[in-house]
Amino acid sequence: MKRFNIALTQMTCTRANKEANIQKMEKYIQKAKAENASLIVFPELALTGYTLRDQIYELAETIPGPTVMTMEKIAKRENIHIIFGMPELSEKTQAVIYNTAVLVAPKGYVGKYRKMHLPTHSVFEEKRYFRQGYKPTVFETELGKVGMLICYDAFFPEVSRILRLEGAQLLVCISASPAVRRHFFEILTVARAIENTVFLAYVNLVGLENGLQFWGGSRLIAPSGKILIQAKYNEEHMVVGTVDYSDIKPVEAFVPTLRDLRPEIFQMLQELSEKL
Amino acid sequence: MELTPEILKINPAATAERIKMFIKDMVKKTETNGVVLGISGGIDSSTVAALSTLSLGSEKVIGLILPEDETYNETDIRHAKRVAEKFRFKTVEITITPVLEAYYKTIPIFDSVEKISRGNIKARARMIYLYYYANKLNLLVCGSSDKSETMMGYFTKWGDVAADIAPLMDLYKTQVRQLAKYIGVPDEIIAKPSSPNLWRGQLAEKELGIKYETLDLILYGLERFMSTKEIAKQLQLNKQLVEKIKKRWLRMEHKRQMPLSLKLTYRTVGKDFRLYHTQ
Repeated sequence: MKRFNIALTQMTCTRANKEANIQKMEKYIQKAKAENASLIVFPELALTGYTLRDQIYELAETIPGPTVMTMEKIAKRENIHIIFGMPELSEKTQAVIYNTAVLVAPKGYVGKYRKMHLPTHSVFEEKRYFRQGYKPTVFETELGKVGMLICYDAFFPEVSRILRLEGAQLLVCISASPAVRRHFFEILTVARAIENTVFLAYVNLVGLENGLQFWGGSRLIAPSGKILIQAKYNEEHMVVGTVDYSDIKPVEAFVPTLRDLRPEIFQMLQELSEKL
Repeated sequence: MELTPEILKINPAATAERIKMFIKDMVKKTETNGVVLGISGGIDSSTVAALSTLSLGSEKVIGLILPEDETYNETDIRHAKRVAEKFRFKTVEITITPVLEAYYKTIPIFDSVEKISRGNIKARARMIYLYYYANKLNLLVCGSSDKSETMMGYFTKWGDVAADIAPLMDLYKTQVRQLAKYIGVPDEIIAKPSSPNLWRGQLAEKELGIKYETLDLILYGLERFMSTKEIAKQLQLNKQLVEKIKKRWLRMEHKRQMPLSLKLTYRTVGKDFRLYHTQ
């Protein structure tokens, strides 16, 4: 599919209440379907809310698992693709948890991405609770090649770059960004789209959780960096925009960043990072 | 993991040594002259007062006995004095009734029937006396809250929990009993039912709806991430009761932390200033 609608759904989550959050997601899915969306995106850890601390151990689930099965049923019934965030419990241990984005399609579970860069500074404590993911992955779907990243991953251009080099046409960045960081994300999301000549959908959490105010402002960005559609700041809101992959080619020809890549310097990047 | 009374057993000698070291270290690092404690004649305050004296010596510990008319109980006062005599620390007895009455009279919406708001005034008034002594004599306020009541939020916010150090806060009530016995707190104090004494006839286990022996095992299980289902099964309890205790533990977190701040700027008090009590 070259052209489809995408619903960006910034929602306020009920902290530590999966049932309530699934119910809310389901309502938005129906609304998105009514607006002809083929893909709906929810924020990082939308299943549980972001601020969980020690409660995360009882909320994390394996993937696939009960929640993913529920979301599969909804995706099938509504004939829609869904991306949402949840704490993922390792199948092999009882307390190894990942901060994961899940993609389900009308045909069922497609795949997951485990957040690679876990913020553990300022108000963030992610390394205390999560194990990091190891691999950016692109998923082949009926909606083209989709790559996922999560929040702080957007600060590391390598993730988006690898996804693009794997062929991603659409990058979906789910996020739980507090208000003091808004200006970073407003710049970085546009930058990731431009430098990779790729569509980028950014969906942020919204509302207050334990004194952290998530700012919303979800947006769909064209490969040119143009913001095609943007949700409101600071309130729950769903917006629907159109992804049209035929818009990629003219931008790629105009700013051919992928053609001009210099692989020989990537080795240097690795060496210097190791010696920091 | 099996939830049996065995798992709550502590090594009282080693625990007492660590607590004594902690109290001594804190007084030294804060350059204070010692500690002041509120002593009620109950097990927690008796234990921590005794440990303070064993740690710092008699001259560096002051116990305030702060009775008031409504809950005045001669036995409790006798117990408080007995502990002070046994461990040889000074006590000052101050009746706080006039202060309480001043509050009752001057609060426009004061309701003499509603027990909790009224009772909390007493705990908070005692805090003011303790901090006066602490400020005036350069002392640390040494709190006596234990882990069971702290996890349950069974205390007065900014009242009895208000302190500079809380040496017993990581010991469940049943563990404080073991420690009390070891350091020689009189048996009659250890054996009597716990009460915050904010109103007449108030009893901790009655109010919490559970015996400490059971509560501590539930809390121990929750502390170690056990599910309520598993805890209820092992202790042969109703799952709803365990759920209720878990919910109360989680709901009371606001009483155990600084006021919730809103992240507005670069580094925020209560969020991402990560500093230590002593420098």
